[in-house]
Amino acid sequence: MSETVHRWMEQYPELGSGPISTEPYISPEWYEREKEKIFRKVWLCVGRENELPKAGDYKVKRVAAADTSVILIRGKDGRIRAFHNACAHRGNTVISETGEETFGGSKAAIMTCRFHGWVYDAEGALKQVPSEQRFYDCFQKEKNGLTPIHLDTWEGFIFINVAEKPETGLLDYLGDYATHFAGFPFNELDYGFTYYTYLDCNWKVAHDAFAEAYHVDTIHAGSFPNVFSTGLQNVKLMGPHRSCAVCLTLSAKPTPVAGIANRLAGASLVSVRGESMLPPTINPDKRDDFAFELSVLFPNTLLHISEGIWFTHQFWPTAHNKTLWEGRYYVKAPQSHSQRWAIEHAMTLQRNAWLEDTATMEDTQRAMQSRAKLEQHLQDDEILIRHGAVVVDRFVNA
Amino acid sequence: MTGTRLPDDFADLAPFLHWALPTPDQRYNHRRAASREELRAFYDAMLPRIEAILTLVDDYPLGALPEELRPLYRLALSLAEVAPHIELYGGAPGVPYAFEETRFLAAHGDQDTALGQPPAAAA
Repeated sequence: MSETVHRWMEQYPELGSGPISTEPYISPEWYEREKEKIFRKVWLCVGRENELPKAGDYKVKRVAAADTSVILIRGKDGRIRAFHNACAHRGNTVISETGEETFGGSKAAIMTCRFHGWVYDAEGALKQVPSEQRFYDCFQKEKNGLTPIHLDTWEGFIFINVAEKPETGLLDYLGDYATHFAGFPFNELDYGFTYYTYLDCNWKVAHDAFAEAYHVDTIHAGSFPNVFSTGLQNVKLMGPHRSCAVCLTLSAKPTPVAGIANRLAGASLVSVRGESMLPPTINPDKRDDFAFELSVLFPNTLLHISEGIWFTHQFWPTAHNKTLWEGRYYVKAPQSHSQRWAIEHAMTLQRNAWLEDTATMEDTQRAMQSRAKLEQHLQDDEILIRHGAVVVDRFVNA
Repeated sequence: MTGTRLPDDFADLAPFLHWALPTPDQRYNHRRAASREELRAFYDAMLPRIEAILTLVDDYPLGALPEELRPLYRLALSLAEVAPHIELYGGAPGVPYAFEETRFLAAHGDQDTALGQPPAAAA
């Protein structure tokens, strides 16, 4: 046997092999330190550029772990900028939020605060203050624009960094992760489904449940019964980020409706497809059992790519034991009603698999909070979880 | 009345018109509320007809489906929702060993799928 049972530990001995403490998953104090040392310091992926196609289009996204809501708005110059959603007057939100994400647009590319009608442009400048003459000499419009947030983009993804001065630029932060995924046609596969829910668990419990393939044979025995995990391949740790290939074998022919859907669209993760759109860095050995690349873009984004599909999970903590989960699933826009139907089938199956994934998370959190077990044990194929724990610890204790 | 009738060739599916629902949320709620027997009967009636339905609706460009064909297409979309329960979950109306389904929200849940629009990004 050429692959040893501890090959990832042998490849990355610096991560160690001991048990992992559960304290970071259940401690409110630890979470406060994560907010300060991680979520207020690093680049966070908050959307796609094509969510805001026209000048004046905006999205407001709540980022509780950074104690703010972020306005992303495309200016008349075509650039997307980010600002805190806070009015310079008395701190009201400039754009009224209707939920975790609020979409809107303004042909004139301006934002007007509902409270007293202060008007800002898409560059953040304060343009108009009703009854301006009644403010005092110390008030200057030009010094009271919206507070900007650092923004940069990579492969169509929008990232923000709420630090006053980020320690690194986005590309330095992404490092080898950026080159690993470069060239995948994210923009061509832009037909995206979004699901979300609030989970009563720590964000890392959610991360961990998705960051291994050890669970496929048990947890997905319902939705993917003819699929068996053949383990991880090509584990690659890249600074705080991590990636690997998930390999699965399909041991039976598809069920009747699934067979029709696969033939029409090839949109399901467990269907067999034709030629490759993957960058050469992905599945470099061209393994037949390659199913998808599973990666973690630190801290809270899981990005997966496969032939004709990509999907993300994002875990947005709102408390030490509460997490907003967002799952997004992207395929090429259908050209016909039958393709649209096939995508509906694939998405339904994927949603059900995600329902199976999320089923364990609140139970895990409750059990951890009992403190009956103070450590968790990881096997070699759970290396992404181990790396996650090591990286979080490094940031929090930096 | 348009919207509640099927083309003559598919008149045998009329007993299942209650599955001709426009939005993903409606279809998923209907599936959750159905009995095992209702799921099975719908699946068994639809499976032999699904390819003919998809061939027929493909006579029209995506998003330009005539009103009178929409109920038929919506039956097909309900089959996509129901099929895993018959083919994989032993006929159970719910997803077994799953997170509470009603807490899982789809941003596109209230869109009329037959209109062929891209899925909404936020609810």
